[in-house]
Order: sequence, then structure tokens, then C-alpha cells
Amino acid sequence: MSLASKTENPPETGAARRVAAFEVFYRRYLEENGEPCAELPGFASDPAALAPLYRIMVLTRIFDEKAIALQRTGRLGTYASALGEEAVGVGVASAMQPGDVLLPSFREQAAQIWRGAKLTELLLYWGGDERGSAFEGPAEDFPICVPVGTQFPHGCGVALAFKRRGEARAAVCVGGDGATSKGDFYEALNIAGVWRLPVVFVIANNQWAISVPRSAQSAAETLAQKAIAAGIPGEQVDGNDVIAVREASERALARARAGEGATLIEALTYRLADHTTADDARRYREDTEVSARWKAEPVARLRNFLVARAVWTKEDEEGLRTACTKEVEEAVEAYLNASPAPPTAMFDHLFQKLPHALTAQRRALAAGPEDGDA
Amino acid sequence: MPEMDLLEAVNTALARAMADDERVVVLGEDVGVDGGVFRATAGLIDRFGAERVLDTPLSESVIAGLSVGLAAQDMRPVAEIQFMGFLYPAIDQLVSHASRLRNRTRSRLSCPMVLRAPYGGGIHAPEHHSESTEAMLAHIPGLRVVIPSSPARAYGLLLAAIRDPDPVVFLEPKRIYHAVKEDVEDDGAPLPLDRCFVLREGKDITLVTWGAMVLETMAAANALGEEGVQAEVIDVATLNPLDESTILASVEKTGRCVIVHEAAYSGGLGGEIGSRLAERGLYSLLAPVARVAGYDTVMPLPRLEHHYMPSEARILAAAHDCLEHA
Amino acid sequence: MSTFRLPDLGEGLQDAEIVSWHVAPGDHVVADQPLLAVETAKAVVEIPSPQSGIIAQLHGEAGDVVPIGAPLVEFGGEDRADRGAVVGELPAAKPARKSAEPAQKTVLAKPVSGGVKAVPAVRAQARKLGVDLAQVSGTGPGGAITSDDVRKAAEKEASGARIERLRGVRRAMAQNMVRSGAEVVPATVNDEADVDHWGDHEDATVRLARAITEACTAEPALNAWYDGAASERWLHAKLDLGIAMDTPDGLFVPTLRDVGGRDDDDLRRGLEAMKRDVRARSVPPEELRGQTFTLSNFGMIGGRHVSLVIVPPQVAILGAGRFYQRYVPVDGKPQAHRMMPLSLTFDHRVVAGAEAARFMAAVVASLER
Repeated sequence: MSLASKTENPPETGAARRVAAFEVFYRRYLEENGEPCAELPGFASDPAALAPLYRIMVLTRIFDEKAIALQRTGRLGTYASALGEEAVGVGVASAMQPGDVLLPSFREQAAQIWRGAKLTELLLYWGGDERGSAFEGPAEDFPICVPVGTQFPHGCGVALAFKRRGEARAAVCVGGDGATSKGDFYEALNIAGVWRLPVVFVIANNQWAISVPRSAQSAAETLAQKAIAAGIPGEQVDGNDVIAVREASERALARARAGEGATLIEALTYRLADHTTADDARRYREDTEVSARWKAEPVARLRNFLVARAVWTKEDEEGLRTACTKEVEEAVEAYLNASPAPPTAMFDHLFQKLPHALTAQRRALAAGPEDGDA
Repeated sequence: MPEMDLLEAVNTALARAMADDERVVVLGEDVGVDGGVFRATAGLIDRFGAERVLDTPLSESVIAGLSVGLAAQDMRPVAEIQFMGFLYPAIDQLVSHASRLRNRTRSRLSCPMVLRAPYGGGIHAPEHHSESTEAMLAHIPGLRVVIPSSPARAYGLLLAAIRDPDPVVFLEPKRIYHAVKEDVEDDGAPLPLDRCFVLREGKDITLVTWGAMVLETMAAANALGEEGVQAEVIDVATLNPLDESTILASVEKTGRCVIVHEAAYSGGLGGEIGSRLAERGLYSLLAPVARVAGYDTVMPLPRLEHHYMPSEARILAAAHDCLEHA
Repeated sequence: MSTFRLPDLGEGLQDAEIVSWHVAPGDHVVADQPLLAVETAKAVVEIPSPQSGIIAQLHGEAGDVVPIGAPLVEFGGEDRADRGAVVGELPAAKPARKSAEPAQKTVLAKPVSGGVKAVPAVRAQARKLGVDLAQVSGTGPGGAITSDDVRKAAEKEASGARIERLRGVRRAMAQNMVRSGAEVVPATVNDEADVDHWGDHEDATVRLARAITEACTAEPALNAWYDGAASERWLHAKLDLGIAMDTPDGLFVPTLRDVGGRDDDDLRRGLEAMKRDVRARSVPPEELRGQTFTLSNFGMIGGRHVSLVIVPPQVAILGAGRFYQRYVPVDGKPQAHRMMPLSLTFDHRVVAGAEAARFMAAVVASLER
């Protein structure tokens, strides 16, 4: 998509001369039906190598379905489904190294699962227990970020620490289309650009910010072009094509590690579920629109590709479903059986050492109301 | 021992912290090449290099957010916001993240950052440059708010803040940046956080204050002394978490309390202190707890500024009222 | 309600095994959304929804073998109500209980401090010293009781003095006297009337009232009101006479209206009624006001000549003391006569000495008749 046609004066005539022009490219490797439409990148040359990606995408989806069911039966709090966005999370996370740091928004379950967050931990988080963010696995990844867009400056700080220490590590921030309207997003891009920070910004553009469609979110033709204002490269990918997402992420991370600075990737996808379990999308969008989008969904697309390449059999599928269902069930069991943290836990990680001024309050809480004031 | 003012003490403490700990980085607008608009960071870039003294773009939210990210990666960022009046875009990062990162990750991640800002009025500055809204920050659990009132305390408290494993907002009373000079040994010794300082002992009345008002309050205390009234002066220093036990012990002794703060009366931290006295010091009180504070108005521009800020005379009047009671 | 049945999956298959459901009853689904995965001989196949709608019921569980055409999903389930929240759960209002009880009346209570202003430390001190704060007057700001006040009260208590707060009539008297002292410039004329010729049942108060009436006619300047600030005096046509009365509760001065327009019997009745009302403390407030002149007959108590206090805006007050015996010359020979001592205090700002003297002379003349 070239912006050259938007200029009003032809170049090099009269008063105006062109001083800058920008292009934004879009990449896709798999059509909606799973057929390749371009030469596949190196990592996909052996299709069997994509099976691990497929596994995590299926696991994410089954986990997601279970989480919704738990919420509906009152055993989980409000939950934000990732239905339809599995390729974004897996594509990005599978390009990262263990030493990189992920800074998600609140719909990156697929990336968190790939990076080693336990299903039980995710359930604890959405079930309302802080222990859900105390990942045993990815020790330096940031927890879910609720205030939209505020994770982008954090990513810059993390990247700055890597740069300062001379480490070949990168920070990866993921946010939504709505997040690109936030000041923190622009400010983070700006500083990442001018300081050449090793950070990758991924926008999972699922076309909806609760009830606000993409068309009402910004007049920019693409969200990727917001990178241009920060002086960093920006590109679009088909966010439902895990190969495209992975490929773009690998390039961006290589740039970062090579000291070339930041990149913005806009992954076009679609939010097939409601914003959260407390939302009802029928209030603002047509079922027919959603139906049409199911045809482009990422899990079936990859499956079709793998099956057509004869690297994925019915038995593989069956076995995977069974295994994932079992894994999710076990995680749910562990979550439901987890004893709640004691009330005093709310004091125990407020500061490294609880200030003396607060010990009386903690004591009073520990003593309980029957015992009067501490 | 070198004699220095509050601003120089801040500068000395920063240099000390940076020399002692490789992880300390200073960042903010104009802090590098310019040395800070008040010169708080003067000389640091020459000594420690541009990798550790960072001139940021004009972006308070990012200054704070960047600090969160750096701190989560075990760096020790000391961010500067140029004036408290420009701190507000950073409040989201302070409240939503800095104050609670440790809590919400069960200490897996933590946020050992310091955010410094000059605050307070009385320097004939244009609008927005004279803010004293420290109470809104002191209300946030998990966020320390520290305000020095002398060169020695600025040095010791800033060092303590930088070394503390949790986030601190360090508000520097700019009106007294140069008002007082005293001997400060650059020995790297921190002062305790979470503790009030008793600046003057007395048995007749307790004057509680912080920041630049310490000067007016001490002057009032001296004037009372000439009248034969011995005032005890307490510098709160750490507004949150509040060391109420020092204040309570003092009022138990004197029975009278006047709280002085430049910040507006309603919702100011004087209310919190007064409430603690009502809860746990009631039976010692010989007179109602008084507050001498800024009015519940927007801080006026320089022409009327001195009417807004508590003066020695207003503090004395409140003290006299107090003494008449019992 | 509509039923969705397992469609023909091709390959000549007659049935399929359910692998897993993707949806649950109550879910809203759209057309083409996968409902479940089933296994055929060749593959695991996703079955898409034929329509949009709410799932009412699912048929079959994972592992069940379902023949083509068998019901899988019932649509038409109950839609969940709009909860109007994007996170969390907002609790619904509890149905308002209609109670038979009337709305609770505001309970009026006396202030716990009993209207006494004293800080807790002072109250504690008073408790310790056994001082009743209600009896202590505060010298602190706004009338607050200070610890010094409490200490002094305790000392007085210890020395046997009884501390009493002035209330009601005594308080009013104190206030009136202060006001008088601040405004009036008093001077006094003393005299005596020879009342030896009076009968035993002569009502002294009635005689004095008559005498004052006549004197007011002779010298109207003393039956007046004076407004010092405006420098105005009002000369009254009628005499509304205040009669000072001593009671256990203190000094009362009810008014005997229009003395000049009433006969003696009427005056007597009026005085009796006055005494009754005063004793019963049932004098209407308006009867304690509006006097143009005051009489203080304290003869029953004792005392001879006095300097009385004028209550502004009045300008004079007449005092009559206890009868005494004096030798008077009658035809050159001394005789012991009953005398009534008289004192006339007048406001010298507005009444001249001569006027006062003439007034007194008229009083004496009337009494000596």
C-alpha cells in the first residue's frame, strides 16, 4: 500500500518537492484454506517443524473453551477469550528466545502458554489470585497488563536494560488496535526509535476494541504506519497465518539483537468471541460478520496446511485433542483444589519488608473481627 | 566537611549512588547535557557518561514507564520529572504499575525505582510550577512518598530511597533548594525511611510539618520560645508509610498539636495526622488539633502566592489559639 | 427451538464418534462456528453451526458414536440477560421489602457534651477532681472550660464555697444592672413623709402609687423614657408603674398599668393579682416590660434611704423604706411621729435636680394628706 498517491502536488514541480514518502507492506504465506500463496520461509520448509506451533494453538483453544465454561458456572472471574487469535500469540512467542521478555496485554494466552506459563497459573490469575502472575517458568516476563497500552513504556525500559548491559536480548510488547490510540503507545514508539531500543511492538489488530470497530479507532489507513512517525519500520502481516506472524517476528527480533532498534508489526486478525465473558457482542456487531470471519480462522488454516502436506494424521489430531483435554482438565483440577491464600497475603508482597507502620493493620486482619482491634 | 545546600546535597547523593552501584541510571528531561533545569544532575553525565545519564524525549509517562521496565530488570532508575506540575501524566504508571508490581507478581518482579520532582511554591514561578499535591500520592499503597527538608536529610533520604527495593517518589521542596547551607558528609550513609525527625524538643506544643514549611515552623517555634513556650518540631519526612508513633508520643507529652503544610487544607495529609491523633491520642489533647495549610483554592500566581502559603505569623496565631485552650 | 442433526459427512459413512464439544448450553454461536469435532474413518472433522443462535441443549458426549441424522444440538436456548458490565458482576438490587413499620422518626437527643465545651483532657481532669463541669464557667476561647478553670473550681469546692451559675432571674438582674451602670448618670434626692395620721390598714403601696401619679402630673419629666444614643426623650401620658417585688427566686418587677386611670379598689385588686402571679411565677412576659416609672417599697424588709438603680429607658425610681419614729415639733412640743423614708434616684442626663426636688415634694405632699 503506497501512500505516494495521497500527495496533492506532483513531485518536483512548483513550490513543493517531495521530502519523504512511505510504504507499508503486508505479508501472507497461507491462504485462508491453508494453501501456500508464496514461497515459505526457511523455518517452514519442513512442514513437520510447524507441528509444535499447531499443538500450542490447539491447547490454547481448548483451554480457552474450558475457561469460558468455568466462568459460566461461576468458578472463574471475568475472562477475556483469545478465540481466533491463537496464531498471533504462537507466531510471536515461537520466534522469541527464552532470554527475551514478553510484555502482554490481556489476550496473549497463546504466547504465555508457549513461553511456559502454566495453565493453572493462568486460571489462578483469571480466578482472582495474585499467585497466578508468579510464573514458575518465564521468570522475567511481565504479568498481564490491564491499563491499555501502559505496557509499551515498560517494554522500552526492559529493552534499555538489555542494551545497557550489552545483552543480545529483546523485549516484545503485544497490544491491541485500541492500544494504538493511547499516548503511552506513541511515546513508547518514539523513545524506542530515537534510542534504538531492542524492542518489538506487536499489534494484534482484532478489529474491535470492545464495541468500537477499527474504522472508528483511527483514521490511519494502517496501524503499522504509526511506526513511521517514530522513525521505525512498520509492517502488516496476516495475523491468522502463523507462518507470516512468525517470520515477521523473527526478522524484527534479529534487528533488535543486531542493535538496529525497534520494529512495529501489525497482525491483522479477528476477535471471534465477545470482548470478555461479561460482554455481549451482539449489541454492536452482526452475527453474519462473525460467521464470515470463521472462514479465515487460524487453527483450521494451519491444520489444513499440515494435513495437505501429509505431516498430520487423524491419529495425530485425535491424540492431540485427547492430550490437550487431559492437560486442561488436570490444570482445572489443580486450580479448583488450590487453597486460597490467607487474607494477610495482601500485606506480604506490598514491600520487600512490611513497614512498621503497617504491622498493626496486618495483625488486626490476622486476628479477625471477633478478637477486636490489634 | 563540605558545606552544601539542599540542591547540592541531592546532586552529591546522586553521584554517590551512581558511583556505588552500576545499576543506578538517571533519566529525565534535560538531566544530561544541561544538568537538570535546577542543576540537580549537574556533572553526572561527565562523570558517568551518556549511557547512565539519559536525556529523554518530552514524555513524562514514558519516563515513569521506562523506569518500571528498568526496575523490573533489576536496574535502579532514578527518574526526574521536571516539576510536580508535570508529574500527572506519570501517575498512571506510578499507581497502576510501580506501586503494585511486586504485589501482583508475589515478589517475582519488583520495582526499585525513584522518581524525583521539585515541588511546592514560593519561587514566583508561572502557573503549574508550584504544585503541592503530595497527598494524592501518599494515598497509594505500595508507593513511598518522601520529602526532605534540609541538605543533610536530602542526602541521607535520597540515598535510602535509591537503595530501597521498592518505589519511592522523592519530592524536593524547591523553595529551599538554596535557602540553607549546612555541613553534609559525603559518606554514603543513608537516613531511615518511614521515620519522623524531631528537629526541636519541647514540652508545651507539637508542631508537625514537612518540606519547605519546616523553615517557617522553626521560626515560629523560636518566636514561641521567646514567649516562654517550648515547642517541639517534627519533620514527617516520609509521608507514607506514616510514622505516627513519633507524633503520638510528642502530643502525649505536650497535649497540643499544630500541623503545618503548604498543600491545600482539604484532603491534605494534615487530615490524616489529625485523624490518627483523634483515634489514638485523644485523651492527651488539651486543645483541638489545628491545621495551618494552603487554602482550598488553586495555588495563586506569584502576586498573591505569599497570601496562600502558611506564614510564620499564621503558624504563631494557630499556636497561640491552641495554648489558650487549656 | 430447532434441532441440528449430524449431517452427511460423505465418504459413505453412517456415523461418527464425538471427539469434543466446543460449545455449551447457553452459548451464543454464529453460523459456521465449529460446534464440535467428530472422528470419521479418515479424519477428525469440525462440524460448523448451521445458524446463529443460543444453544439450548447438546446431545451426546465425547466418545459417543452418533449416527448420521441423529440430533446433535438444540437451538433456541434462553438468552442470558444483559448484565450491563464488561468486567465483574454487578449485584442485583434486592426486592424492596414493604414494611408495615412507619418511617423511623429522627431521634432527638441532647448533645452528649451537655453543651459544655471542654477537651477530653480537661474532662478527665474534672472527673478526677470531682468537679461538675456544668457548674464551671469557661474562660477559654468560645467559653471553653480550661484546666485552670477546673482547678479553681476544685479549690473553691475544697474551701467550702458553693459555686453557683447565675440563671434566670438573677442572671437577668445582673445583666440589667450592668446595662444601667453603663448608661445612666444617677443622682438621688432623699426626703421623708410624716404618715403618722395614716390608719392601720392603709395600703402603703397604693398610697405610694397615688403619690407618684400626682407627682408625675406635677413634674412630667420623671415619667419619661430617654434614648441617650438618639438624644430623645419620650414623655408619657400614662403612668405604667413597675412594682419591685422580692421573691425567693429574685427580683421581679411586674407592671401596674395606667395607675392614674384607676381607682384605689382597682389598684388594690391589681396589686393582689400581681402578687399572686409573681408567687406562682405566672406573670406574662409583657407584664414585666413597658414601665415608665418604678417603685421599690422595701419597707417590710428594712432600710431607710437608698441609692436605687434606674432601669433604662426609665429615668427615675422611687424607693420607700421602713417606717421609723421621729420627734417632730407640733405646736412647739415634741411628738413622736411615724415617718416614711423616701429616696428618689433620677437620671441626671435628662432630669434636672429641681425637677426631681419638685417631684419629691409632690410625693411627700400626697403622702402627708
